[in-house]
Amino acid sequence: MHTTHTPEAVATAAIECHGIRMSFGGIPVLKGISLVLEPGTVTALAGENGAGKSTLMKIASGQYKPDEGTVEVRSEHLHAGDIQAAHRLGVAIVPQELASIPEMTVYENLFVGRELRSPVGLLNRRAMMRQAREFLKPFGLEIDPAARMGSLPVGIRQIIEIVKATSRGAKVLLLDEPTSAIAEQEVERLYSVVRSLRDQGVAMLFTTHKMEEIRAMADRVIVLRDGNLVEDKPLDQLSDDDIVEAMIGRELEDMFPEIGVPKDEVALTVQDLVIGHGTEPVSFSVRRGEILGLAGLVGAGRTELMESIFGMRHPAAGSVAVGGRKVALGNPAAAIASKIALVPEDRKGAGAVLSMSVLDNASLPRIKSFSNAGWINNRKRSGSIGDIMKSMNLKSRGLGQSMETLSGGNQQKVVFGRWLTGPVDVLLLDEPTRGVDVGARSEIYRIIVDLAEQGMAVVMASSDMPEILSLSHRALVMRGLTVAGELSKTELLESSAQDKIFRLASGLEASTKKETENNDD
Amino acid sequence: MTTDRSTMLEPSPGGTATKDPTRRFSWQWLQGFAVRHAMVVVMLFVVAFFLYKSARFGTLENMTTILIAAAPFALIALGQTLVILTGGIDLSVGSVIAASAMAAAYVAKASDGNLLLTVLVAVLVGLAAGAINGFVVSRMNVPPFIATLGMLTLASGVAYVIGGGAPINGLPANFGAIANTEVLGLKIPVLLMILAIVGLAIIMKRTSYGMRVYAVGGNRLAAEIAGVKSKRVLFSVYTISGVLAGVSGLMLASRVISGAPNLGQGYELDAIAAVVIGGASLMGGRGTIWGTAIGLLLIQTLNNGLDLLIVPSYWQDVIKGVLIVLAVAIDVWAAKRRTS
Repeated sequence: MHTTHTPEAVATAAIECHGIRMSFGGIPVLKGISLVLEPGTVTALAGENGAGKSTLMKIASGQYKPDEGTVEVRSEHLHAGDIQAAHRLGVAIVPQELASIPEMTVYENLFVGRELRSPVGLLNRRAMMRQAREFLKPFGLEIDPAARMGSLPVGIRQIIEIVKATSRGAKVLLLDEPTSAIAEQEVERLYSVVRSLRDQGVAMLFTTHKMEEIRAMADRVIVLRDGNLVEDKPLDQLSDDDIVEAMIGRELEDMFPEIGVPKDEVALTVQDLVIGHGTEPVSFSVRRGEILGLAGLVGAGRTELMESIFGMRHPAAGSVAVGGRKVALGNPAAAIASKIALVPEDRKGAGAVLSMSVLDNASLPRIKSFSNAGWINNRKRSGSIGDIMKSMNLKSRGLGQSMETLSGGNQQKVVFGRWLTGPVDVLLLDEPTRGVDVGARSEIYRIIVDLAEQGMAVVMASSDMPEILSLSHRALVMRGLTVAGELSKTELLESSAQDKIFRLASGLEASTKKETENNDD
Repeated sequence: MTTDRSTMLEPSPGGTATKDPTRRFSWQWLQGFAVRHAMVVVMLFVVAFFLYKSARFGTLENMTTILIAAAPFALIALGQTLVILTGGIDLSVGSVIAASAMAAAYVAKASDGNLLLTVLVAVLVGLAAGAINGFVVSRMNVPPFIATLGMLTLASGVAYVIGGGAPINGLPANFGAIANTEVLGLKIPVLLMILAIVGLAIIMKRTSYGMRVYAVGGNRLAAEIAGVKSKRVLFSVYTISGVLAGVSGLMLASRVISGAPNLGQGYELDAIAAVVIGGASLMGGRGTIWGTAIGLLLIQTLNNGLDLLIVPSYWQDVIKGVLIVLAVAIDVWAAKRRTS
């Protein structure tokens, strides 16, 4: 089918999608999407997980063939499934999961598939290295092209992926969740790369559900919801609330529920715990019903602290006690027996077994309580897990659904809920809402607050500042594998809290440890 | 994928997803079945072909022959399935067969036909080999491929050492009774095969142990965070594989009433082929006991049918090689259809 457009549109559009419809297994994912990207613009494609963003990206980049509709790049039809043709037309996608080859060097990654050769046909490594350096220079990347890709931070690798695409002449760049995997201090660098590409006339489309990212990068915002395009406006005509409401399709109630009052009884005591190669030991305690926030930059030791408490790594020294009873260290099974539960940061890598069903995932930690002498009692198991998942408002086709086909938010609910079939005194949450969409996010906050109210001690590491400020009774700021400072609830409510946390986390402000701790020395 | 179109949540017993109901035996149902059980369909085609070509193929006698030939392979393929489900591989099973066969023959001869002792030694040899594999893989973190490759050579060496480089013949007559006695109308190896298939299928589907094997293979880190002692699980699958290889070696030696140090050579590859044809992923976490049983029967049916058609044995290998790859290609294609 042919669509007619005005001559100007033909002349200016970098890529045009018309009436894209797509369904998987009979379920419509995209219900007639049209969009036009112009050169030198940055468009945010916002929407919750499952709204159809990634599918649209894959269609626009020619990886998927839509059921209906066309993709045209500078008025030339883009045939699906032909990656070479997409390259030739200058359409490139930088996927969410990094596509770089970690065992190869930076320049090898840049040139793989179009290697430079000497006249006799051997690899011309010197020329590749020189060109690689030239490609990287405009983006302010002073890295050795011969460095192994895997040795670089994820954020840098991502930028190299972008450089790889544009160095091959990409005029349309599709970025799928560009900041989902990278550390805060690297995000700024990504923003500047995107801006400089815009100045070079590249048309960019990025998927996101983070408001700050939209504000920092986009000129225009497109919002998808349930496969429909529900908003398409220049950024300056939209408020944050407009965007969020378009994404979740309802008025944004207060994201954060009110937190309860902690009880007096101490649930978790961490005493002189030395994490990894840290020099300063960590000591703190958490009461029942209390939510302790853990702030800090990536690498500050938040994850390491949680993993040490949970027995995934053996601390060099120190002790952990739950309800006054010491927990055997270095043994997750012992930690679980002591009623500690962990929801890890890396859901796909450490939280869930994606190849297994919801039911199996949810019953894995407490499988013994559902079995007699090793035989699984399936009625008991599905009943109990079913109840929990219902209370967590899990959206699935049933407990038999495979984990990998759930959205991020729903996966997280399973990883969360699976602990709740048994007693938990201490709940360790590592980035509980990473990769979780706005709607599911507020549900997860609700769950956290409810669990604390039931008497659990919650430790929550988060890079999301509002989460730390609004959800915790108290917050520790970590730096260099130890605690750099502590903020009370009153301090968290002050307007300077965010700044204070940042200064502590980055070392701009000296550690407050000495002042707050009187049992030192 | 969008899931919010239906917020229903029904705890379905057995944990199978309830999909849109299609009428049984309709064309759609048949298509769905073919895609879900591609290998069963391939198997039916192979059987139909041999039935058409050979009058003897369909006889009860021939079916029994197929099962008897399949039994020793079945045991090692089942053990291999568990190992592959954890993302590992056991290359040593063929050699462990030889070592246990030689040990059994040696003991039978030396003890003048003490069957209990003979069986015990054969099982212990398998157990020891498997436990060493399990220890080296789970505790010393040696990649399974290397650890079991070492065991392949070691066990083969042991087999030759036991016989001083020669086969052990002239065994007491009752040694042959182990594999040739009939219980409930089935020879012991066939009975063991059926018991092992049914037993392991139930264990993998219905016990917490089975679930932990899948979990460790699917995502070891996540399994550990959920409190699964992954090292124990790894140790156990190699040990089970070793024991089953030991039993397999005993059956093979008993069937011919002699021990040969080259018995079982190369069997590990047929076992791996059966598992992979059965739809298991070499990355771990995916695969079923039933799948392996089908894969195994497919290979054995091919062996038998091609023999009946008097296809020269070298050509049999060529045909088998092509069919193995073709079968898996069909399965991969069907798997793709399944997910989309």
